[in-house]
Amino acid sequence: MRLLSKLSTVLLAGATAVTMFAGASSAGEFDGYTLKVKLIGGAQYEPLYTRIPEWEAATGAKVEILSRKNHFELDREIKQDIASGSINWCVGSNHTSFAPQYGSLYIDLSVVLDEDVVGAISENVNNSSMVDGRLVQLARHSDVSNLYYIKSLYEDEQNKADFKAEYGYDLMPPETWDQVKDQAIFFADPPNFYGTQYVGKDEGISGRFYEMLVAEGGTFFGTDGKVAFNSPEGVRALEWFVDLYEAKAVPAGVPNYLWDETGLGFASGTVALNLDWGGWATFFNSADSKIQGDVGLIRAPKGSSGKRTGWSGSHSFSITEACDNKKAAASFVTFLTNFDSQLLEGRTGLLPTRPDAIAAVIEESRAAGNDWLVEVFETYGASMAEDAFAVPSTPLWIPISNELFPELQAAIVGEKTPQQALDDAAAAANQLIEDEG
Amino acid sequence: MSVMTNIKRKLFSEQATPYVLLLPAVIMILIVVLFPLIFSLYTSFTGYKLTRPDTLFKLVGFRNYVRIFGDWDFWVAFFRTVGFLAVVINLEFLLGLGIALLINKITWGQRTMRTIMMFPMMFSPILVGFQFKFIFNDNVGILNNALQGLGITEAAIPWLVDGWLAMGAIAFAEIWMSTSIFAILLLAGLFAMPKDPLEAAQVDGCNAWQTFRHITLPFLMPFAYIAMTIRSLDVARAYDVVDTMTGGGPAGRTELLWTLIARTGYDSANMGMANAMAYVSIILSIAFTYYFFSKLVAARRYMGGAL
Repeated sequence: MRLLSKLSTVLLAGATAVTMFAGASSAGEFDGYTLKVKLIGGAQYEPLYTRIPEWEAATGAKVEILSRKNHFELDREIKQDIASGSINWCVGSNHTSFAPQYGSLYIDLSVVLDEDVVGAISENVNNSSMVDGRLVQLARHSDVSNLYYIKSLYEDEQNKADFKAEYGYDLMPPETWDQVKDQAIFFADPPNFYGTQYVGKDEGISGRFYEMLVAEGGTFFGTDGKVAFNSPEGVRALEWFVDLYEAKAVPAGVPNYLWDETGLGFASGTVALNLDWGGWATFFNSADSKIQGDVGLIRAPKGSSGKRTGWSGSHSFSITEACDNKKAAASFVTFLTNFDSQLLEGRTGLLPTRPDAIAAVIEESRAAGNDWLVEVFETYGASMAEDAFAVPSTPLWIPISNELFPELQAAIVGEKTPQQALDDAAAAANQLIEDEG
Repeated sequence: MSVMTNIKRKLFSEQATPYVLLLPAVIMILIVVLFPLIFSLYTSFTGYKLTRPDTLFKLVGFRNYVRIFGDWDFWVAFFRTVGFLAVVINLEFLLGLGIALLINKITWGQRTMRTIMMFPMMFSPILVGFQFKFIFNDNVGILNNALQGLGITEAAIPWLVDGWLAMGAIAFAEIWMSTSIFAILLLAGLFAMPKDPLEAAQVDGCNAWQTFRHITLPFLMPFAYIAMTIRSLDVARAYDVVDTMTGGGPAGRTELLWTLIARTGYDSANMGMANAMAYVSIILSIAFTYYFFSKLVAARRYMGGAL
């Protein structure tokens, strides 16, 4: 059975790769052309670029990588390119959170890409890749967060009895964010052990607040075009962060945490529950982690509206309007998001945006007896298909986030009440909206 | 025709030669320094957004400046930067002076010590920021684990969350990285110091403290003020270490001028406002530079032209 499954995966991968590659370009099609690109750099993103020589050999083109930086630095560089009018490159890495800022920098990809190339990507992801009704990005992999937990805590009979006595319901991996709060407070034993944690600064906390707001039934923008996050739903969402901080159920340093800190903290075995993306899954269950073999994973819990949190973003590629050879650029982004490319990224733990690549990674992991990766990709695949939603598609998302996150932090560390913090953030955000005209 | 000849004659005349020779340098300075300054000053009166080049011509008058003058957060960051500058530079001076005096006493392995002393300067500020960010991490950081392991505290000290502790942690990183600038300049001063006044002081029966206070220190002060001028400009623009360790947060508790300006200008793309902030903050750099230069001149006058 395993042999059959392995064989079918290999055949599926091979057939799709041949089809995709043949569809994308023909040998020598771009002989002598140099394609200039600006790509996101970093350990998680680099393995894909080892495939670039294959595209060069197949098409005769050369790829010149002008930049290879983390996304925040790349974003700054792209903004400077726009300001100085020096767009002399064709393909750029992009992200759903950043894309709305760039105006008309990038073209509508549905004009230059074949329908089957776009259609191979999950519809939910493609919808998030649109800006003003234009598909400006072709997503390479997505991130959405689900809840990791330490299994042994939930198997401990003493914990079960104590929790039931204190909270009146059975200790189970949480289904709602209120249960997460109860359990986090129950497990916390600072400074040795914490119930949970969250990213607490920059766009990280803005995005976490946004998804909690949605799960509470609120909206970020009102129908009048102004922000509406200072609503009762917003206050409830922010109180969740504040209550955990006040109860010392999260490390005192969370207002300064980003994903490195939350990931390393959970792997250190000092945190019971951790909402995080799939990129950490392999590490959490590796020999470098103190909780190897004791990690559980469930879909992100629900808010009081019954909706799950699902703040999602996709790393993607875009083609500039100024590109002098859009056909070559289209061939390149097609190649970097085709089945083989996504399979390669999927094997490192990143979540492919093509359902067939997710299925193949699951099949491959099952055949290799890696039940953990099967569970990870099934969970993330389901949440990507059913729960995921991107940030509001507006060029003001990042500027508003920059006004919002210091106020969220002020509420978390007790300088302001949640309502006061959100009202102050709303005033600043509405000023930005007014300035934008 | 006669006008052209007249211009040529004047251009190549002997009196014009120095100005003609200076012209390339003047033009380069205009292009490299003056033009960007004028351009950024102009943009501070516009609603210029990096991602929308058309906004470069959207004049908003003094709106950006009016908002800055009424922005409590900006002035808190401004005066926090002044305080940070004062504390960091003074501590760097004291530590640098101590290190320079100690190294000056070494008779064996002095060159090796001088090289080792410069190691922190060789690190990129971003790496220094990451290094101290993880040292001061409240949960998995080395410092808290060491303090708890040694039984000194049972609590997780929120080094990078509490306003005072976070500024202290950032100051520590900044001082660790740059004290050697003071040490090197002061050591150069010690090497250049004539022995005669020291020997005369010994003959006159001065003790070590009196010799240091009345001879060594006045001699070193011009070197110290040069280092202070350089470092005040550096620290007033402190960005990498602060951005990496705290990003100016939480809740703006460690916000310095340049973390605020960079976030406004690049992350929020609001370059018009960021340039207005930068122009207001230049006052700070000019004030510190003027202060240290006037002290430098006074110190040199005090030394009676010995330097």
